[in-house]
Amino acid sequence: MSTSEVSTPEDSRHLYPPRRGGWRGHKDLVSGIAVFGLICILPWVPLLGWTSIFDTSNNYGLGNLAFVFAYAAAAIGFNLLVGYSGALGLSHAGLFGLGAYGTAILTSPKECLDPACDPIVRVATSGYDWPFLVALPIVCVAAAAIGIIVGFPAARLKGFFLAIATLALGELIITIIRLDEDVWSGLKSNGGTGKQVPLFLLPGFDRTQSAYAVAAASMFLCFIGYVILTERRLGRTLKAVRDVEIATGPIGISATYYKLVAFGLSAFAAALAGAAWAQNSAFVNPSAFRTRLLVFLLVVLIVGGLGRLWGPLIGAAFFVYLRQELQDTQKLLFLVLGIALMLAVLILPNGIASIPDRIRQTRWADDLRRRFRSGALNND
Amino acid sequence: MTDPTTTTTTTPIQTPSRETVLELRDLHVAFGGNRVLEGVDLEFKAGFNGMIGPNGAGKTTLFNVLSGYVMPSRGTVWMRGENLTAMSQTARVKAGLGRTFQSPKLVLDATVMENVLLGRHHLFRWGHVAELFFWPPRRREETASRRICMEMLDRFGLAAKAHQQAGDLSLGAQKIVEVCRSLVAEPSVVLLDEPAAGLGADDVTVLLSGLRALVAERQICIVIIEHDLALVAALCPEISVLHFGEIISRGTPVEVTSDPIVVEAYLGAGFELGDEVAGMDS
Repeated sequence: MSTSEVSTPEDSRHLYPPRRGGWRGHKDLVSGIAVFGLICILPWVPLLGWTSIFDTSNNYGLGNLAFVFAYAAAAIGFNLLVGYSGALGLSHAGLFGLGAYGTAILTSPKECLDPACDPIVRVATSGYDWPFLVALPIVCVAAAAIGIIVGFPAARLKGFFLAIATLALGELIITIIRLDEDVWSGLKSNGGTGKQVPLFLLPGFDRTQSAYAVAAASMFLCFIGYVILTERRLGRTLKAVRDVEIATGPIGISATYYKLVAFGLSAFAAALAGAAWAQNSAFVNPSAFRTRLLVFLLVVLIVGGLGRLWGPLIGAAFFVYLRQELQDTQKLLFLVLGIALMLAVLILPNGIASIPDRIRQTRWADDLRRRFRSGALNND
Repeated sequence: MTDPTTTTTTTPIQTPSRETVLELRDLHVAFGGNRVLEGVDLEFKAGFNGMIGPNGAGKTTLFNVLSGYVMPSRGTVWMRGENLTAMSQTARVKAGLGRTFQSPKLVLDATVMENVLLGRHHLFRWGHVAELFFWPPRRREETASRRICMEMLDRFGLAAKAHQQAGDLSLGAQKIVEVCRSLVAEPSVVLLDEPAAGLGADDVTVLLSGLRALVAERQICIVIIEHDLALVAALCPEISVLHFGEIISRGTPVEVTSDPIVVEAYLGAGFELGDEVAGMDS
């Protein structure tokens, strides 16, 4: 008899987890709209003017925020891979670099064969002259393919072995970029290391605003993809691969396939973030994508909150703030980042993004809630 | 020995066509020099099939061979005329084989419903790209799947806990959730590895009545490994006894428990089936 109760149409809402009434039932959606709305108006309404670093009334602040978004986008992909599929793939820095270099090379103007050309310009411009919006998706898909190839050997490895193998493969990407000097170093006059990135300009925007928009859009894309996919079948399947990998075969899930999917998606996000980062920095250099970047991304993810929706954005803001604040003393930056990482692991294992939950669970908050409720009852 | 008919009449075994679903032919498995299975020949028919034997007899290894964890060194496995022996684990699931584990393998930070939905993973027609783009047929498919899972949870008395975290459930409830997960995959054979171990008496009752109702409705073959002989005897019309990798006895519960070889190898002298079954029914 209870079977018939369940199958009646009015009970179909119980098939999905019950939502709380009002806006609280759509917390992620509401907070998402609020945050992205804020990001959209920030260039015109400098709400963050009180912080000199994120003051959007000038290019410096806009650029810093664009870096925040780029790092956050990469960290969202990292979050999907590490937080959901449980595979500690560390080839992210390389894939980030691939996105940056890939778009830079594809969008650079064709080599100038005219002997009248300035020799410096001739070397600097050895690209394919593609439009940015064509190059970007192609580079991201290519990076996803490379991520899947990296994932193939990695899908058979676990834990430390996986971390070491993917770390090496990520370094390999950068080493390959370094092989051809024409590719990685464009403008020799610029100290001899690095490549000028042709800048994509949105109509009616200047270069910093365009970079800001590109970075915000990449983060938005990664964020939306992450929210949609993890709340549905892909999310629960990846959780199964993470937690009960041994049992996935008899459940009917191919653990290898889903690890590769996670590798591919996170590589896509990393390349997208890398391209956005390159647009903002306007100059790419292979040494920017070595293990140091990976450590930065780990700090962003762990200090922000592993597996938390807003963790990557909060972590990225924290990281960029520290980096700009301690710009003149690089060694101090590493010291502070190291201490922050240790403190996060010790005191806040779920990152800064878990602080509201932590506060909500304290006895003090419980007491406050109880008083509020009894107060409301007395007034009735 | 008490009257054997009291045990058998309570079980839905007299269904007219008891077709053979799973056939094991001459299965040999060795881990190095340790021969675990030595020429196992078995047929499992639709309905309940019991598998008993002392610890280390090779019961779980047999399940691992059937679900593809262990490759047999010799022998074949047939399921409804299909040769499973060389199939991948996921292909076996698609062919209609499901199983549970001795210790439940659930995603503890996902809800009970999500865990059960995992069992229907291979039945989804729409892929993850459709998921990303809010494709309406995908949503309908998900809802239909959730309905099937909810009905299955309801059979086993867990519908009210569908949206709780699986980690918040007791071990017994987790094992029942795992049974549900294997059953929603629309399998033709389900291998249950000690489903009642660690379950409370009321959980066992719910589990057994749920399984009985399901077997009465569908042509499903359930193979149960269990140490609780009374439970196996109450459920299964046919029991196989595995001892050091060999089938030493097969037959009805009464035949098996009165077989002197089984008594010596597994049950021990002085074993009385009737008392235990009577105790279970009360």
